[in-house]
Amino acid sequence: MSGASLERGLQALREQMDTPVAAFFSSCVHCGLCAEACLFYTETGDPRYTPIHKLEPMRRLWEQEYTLPGRLKKALGLARPVTDEELEAWRPLVYDACTLCGRCSLVCPVGNDLVYMIRKFREGMAAAGHAPEGLIGATTRAVKTGSPMGVTLKALQAQARHVEQETGLEIPFDREGAEYLVLMSSMEVINYPEYLAAITRIFHRAGKSWTISSEAFEATNSGIQIGVSDIAAELVQRVVDAAEKLKVKTVVSPECGHAYMALRWEGPNLVGRSFGFEVKHILEVLDELRREGCLPLEGQETVRMTFHDPCQLVRRGGVVEPPRNLLRTVAAEFVEMNDHGTTNWCCGAGGGVSANEEADELRLKAFHRKKRQLEEIGAEALVTACANCRIQLEEGLEANEMEIPVIGLTELLADHLAAAEQESGESS
Amino acid sequence: MKKDAPLIELLREYGVSRRGFLKFCSITASLMALPPTMAPAIARALEQARRPSVIWLSFQECTGCTESLTRSHSPTVEGLILDVVSLDYHHTLQAASGTAAEEAREIAMKENWGKYLLVVDGSIPLGNPGFSTIAGIPNVEMLKEVAEGAAAIIAVGTCAAYGGLPHAAPNPTGAVPVAEIVKEKPVVNVPGCPPIPVVITGVLAHFLTFGRLPELDGLGRPLAFYGNSIHDRCYRRPFYERGQFAETFDDEGARKGWCLFRLGCKGPITRNACATTKWNNGTSFPIESGHGCLGCSEPDFWDMGGFYNAVSEPAMESGTAVAWGLAGGALAGAAAGLLNRRERKAARASHQRVTVDDLKREE
Repeated sequence: MSGASLERGLQALREQMDTPVAAFFSSCVHCGLCAEACLFYTETGDPRYTPIHKLEPMRRLWEQEYTLPGRLKKALGLARPVTDEELEAWRPLVYDACTLCGRCSLVCPVGNDLVYMIRKFREGMAAAGHAPEGLIGATTRAVKTGSPMGVTLKALQAQARHVEQETGLEIPFDREGAEYLVLMSSMEVINYPEYLAAITRIFHRAGKSWTISSEAFEATNSGIQIGVSDIAAELVQRVVDAAEKLKVKTVVSPECGHAYMALRWEGPNLVGRSFGFEVKHILEVLDELRREGCLPLEGQETVRMTFHDPCQLVRRGGVVEPPRNLLRTVAAEFVEMNDHGTTNWCCGAGGGVSANEEADELRLKAFHRKKRQLEEIGAEALVTACANCRIQLEEGLEANEMEIPVIGLTELLADHLAAAEQESGESS
Repeated sequence: MKKDAPLIELLREYGVSRRGFLKFCSITASLMALPPTMAPAIARALEQARRPSVIWLSFQECTGCTESLTRSHSPTVEGLILDVVSLDYHHTLQAASGTAAEEAREIAMKENWGKYLLVVDGSIPLGNPGFSTIAGIPNVEMLKEVAEGAAAIIAVGTCAAYGGLPHAAPNPTGAVPVAEIVKEKPVVNVPGCPPIPVVITGVLAHFLTFGRLPELDGLGRPLAFYGNSIHDRCYRRPFYERGQFAETFDDEGARKGWCLFRLGCKGPITRNACATTKWNNGTSFPIESGHGCLGCSEPDFWDMGGFYNAVSEPAMESGTAVAWGLAGGALAGAAAGLLNRRERKAARASHQRVTVDDLKREE
C-alpha cells in the first residue's frame, strides 16, 4: 500500500508512544507556562498556539490506547476518536506555528520536553498526509535531487568556480583523507555564497585540509522537519557514507541550526549507530582554530553588534560560548539581547516553517518579538550563524523598514583575517 | 473575698495598680488583634465586671494547666483575674473536700444557672466510666450535667481540647475531648501542654468585655492567638530561609542558633502564640532555649512521629497494608507498562516505510 492515510498516520503515532511521552502527558499540570514561552502565542495572543495544545490529538490517542481510564472510555464508546478533519485542523498548529525551537521545553516546570513530542507528532501528521505542500515539495527535492531547494551539484560547482576566481584559492572536491568535510546548506549556495568564500580563506589561512563531497554536500534535513524518520535517516546516511568514504576526521555542519541538530544529535539515533567521525558546527571549528592560534584576526567593528542565537545551535545544540568568544574578538561593542543564549527567542522560521508558504504571514508576525528585542538594545548590526535565520531576519527587517544589516559570523571573521592574505572586501 | 465587689477593687486589694491594670488591658487588646481603642473598653468592662462564677472541672489531666496559670510568676494580673473570679469549684485550689465540695458546685450551678463559665482541663474516658470518677460520678456524667447550665465552655489544655496524652495511641481509656461530648454549647479550645496563661485570661477578658466568645478557627481555637504558626513568628526563621540548620544539639549550627527543623522542631505545623507572648513572664520560649517545638497545642501531637524526627519524615511506620498496596500498584503499573510496550512494539513491527511518494493522499 502506498499513499498517505489516516490509519498509517495513527499507526506511525502509536510507534512514537514511548516512555517519555507517557511520562510527559501524565505529568502535565495545565499551568500554561509553555504558552508564554512560545513566540507564536506571545505575538498573536491566540491560545491555540499554546505548545501543549498543539499536541492535543496525539494526547488523546495516547489516552485512549495507552491508559486504563482511556481504554475504558473507548470501550464504552465515550471517547472521541482522532479523525482526519481534526488532524487537518491541527496542521497549522503543528507545522506553521512551531519552529521546533524548544523554548517551551525549557520553561516547563514539570520538565516536559514538548518539542520532543511535537517532532514525534509530525511523524503521524506526515504519514497521514497532513504535511504542508511546501514541505512535501522540499522533502521530495531533497530525496530526489539532493537538496530541498533543488540545488544540483552543477550549481554548487559553478558557485565554487566563482569563489575560486574571486579568492584565487582552490576549493577541493572529493579529497580523501582531508581533516574536514564541509557541508553546505542550499540556502547558502543560492543566497549567501560569501560563506563558501569565507571558509575557503579561513581554512587556507589556518593551514587545514578540507574538502567538499560531490555525493553529499547538502547538510539540511527535510526529513526531520516534515517528520519522517525513514527519509531523515536516508539523508543522514548519505552524509555518513560520503564522510566514511573520504575518511575525514570531522564533518563540519554549515551555518544552519537544524542541519546541526539533524546530523549531530538525531543522526546517530536515526542510522542506529555511532559515527566513525566527529560532527561539529562551523562555529565550534572556528573557536577551536582561534584557541589553537590558527585564526589570526585583526581590526574591530565599531558598530553596536548583537548576536541572534539559532535555537538548534544554542538552546538545543549546546553551542553557546563559541559564537560569543569569536564575536568578542572582532566586535568592539558587542551587546546581548535581553533573552539570549539558551533562552533566546527564535527567528520564527526554523523547523520547516520557511519552506512552508502557508506560514508566510504568521512567521512575519512572529518576527515582531525579534524586532522588539533589537529595538530595546538599539542594535546597529545583527550577527547570526544560520542561513535560515538570516533570510528570515532580513525579510523581517525589511518588512518593518529597519535598516540593520544581517551578517554571518563566519564571513565577519573572514573579513578580519589578519594580513598575509588579500582582502576581498566582500560583505553583506 | 467579698462576693459581689467589682473586679478592680479586688485587684487593688492585691496591690495591682491602675497603671498595671490598664497595661494588661492594652496588651490583651493587642494580643487579640483588637484595635487599640478597645483597651479602655476592656478596662471599663473588667472594672465593672461582677465576679463571674467559674466552675473548673478536672478530668484525666496532670494539673499542669492549673500550675501554668497559677504558678508561672506572681503576682500577675493573669493569675489574679483567675483568683478574683468566683472560682466556685476547683479540685486543686478549693479548701473544701468531699460532700462539701460537691455541694459548693451544686449551689454555684443553681445560683448562676445559664450564666456561669465552665472551664475543663483533662480528657474524658469513654472506654469505661470507672476509669476516672469524682465523688463517685463518672467524668462524662459530670461534664454533661455542668455543661447544661453553662454560658460557655472553655476547654483548657490539649487534653480537654483534643484528647492530649490520654488520647495518644492506643488510647487505653477511650479518651475524648470536651467538644465530642458537648455539642449544643459553644466550646473554646485553648490547647497547649500547658497553654499560655495570657491566652486563657485573654479569652476570659474577651468574654467579660463583649459578652461573647472570640472568633475561632476550624479547630475551635481563638484566631487571635492561634492564627499564626510558631514557624511564621520564629526569630530563627531567617536561618531556615537560608538553609542553615543545626544537625545535632551540640554542633556549631546549634551554638550559632540556627534553625532546629532537622532536629524535629514542629514549629512549621504548630499554631500558637509562644514565639510572640513567650513564657515565664516573657523570658523565652522553647526554641529560644535551644529545643525544637514539640507541637503540644496541636491535635495528636504525641502521635506525630518522634519529637526529634523532622516534620518532613513520615510520622508512622507504614503498615503492611500500605506495603501491599504499593507492591500491588507497582505490579499493576509494570503490567500496564509491559502492555503498552507490546502495543508499541507491534506498531513498530508493522512499520511501513514512508517514502516521499507516501506523503500525499492518493487522489
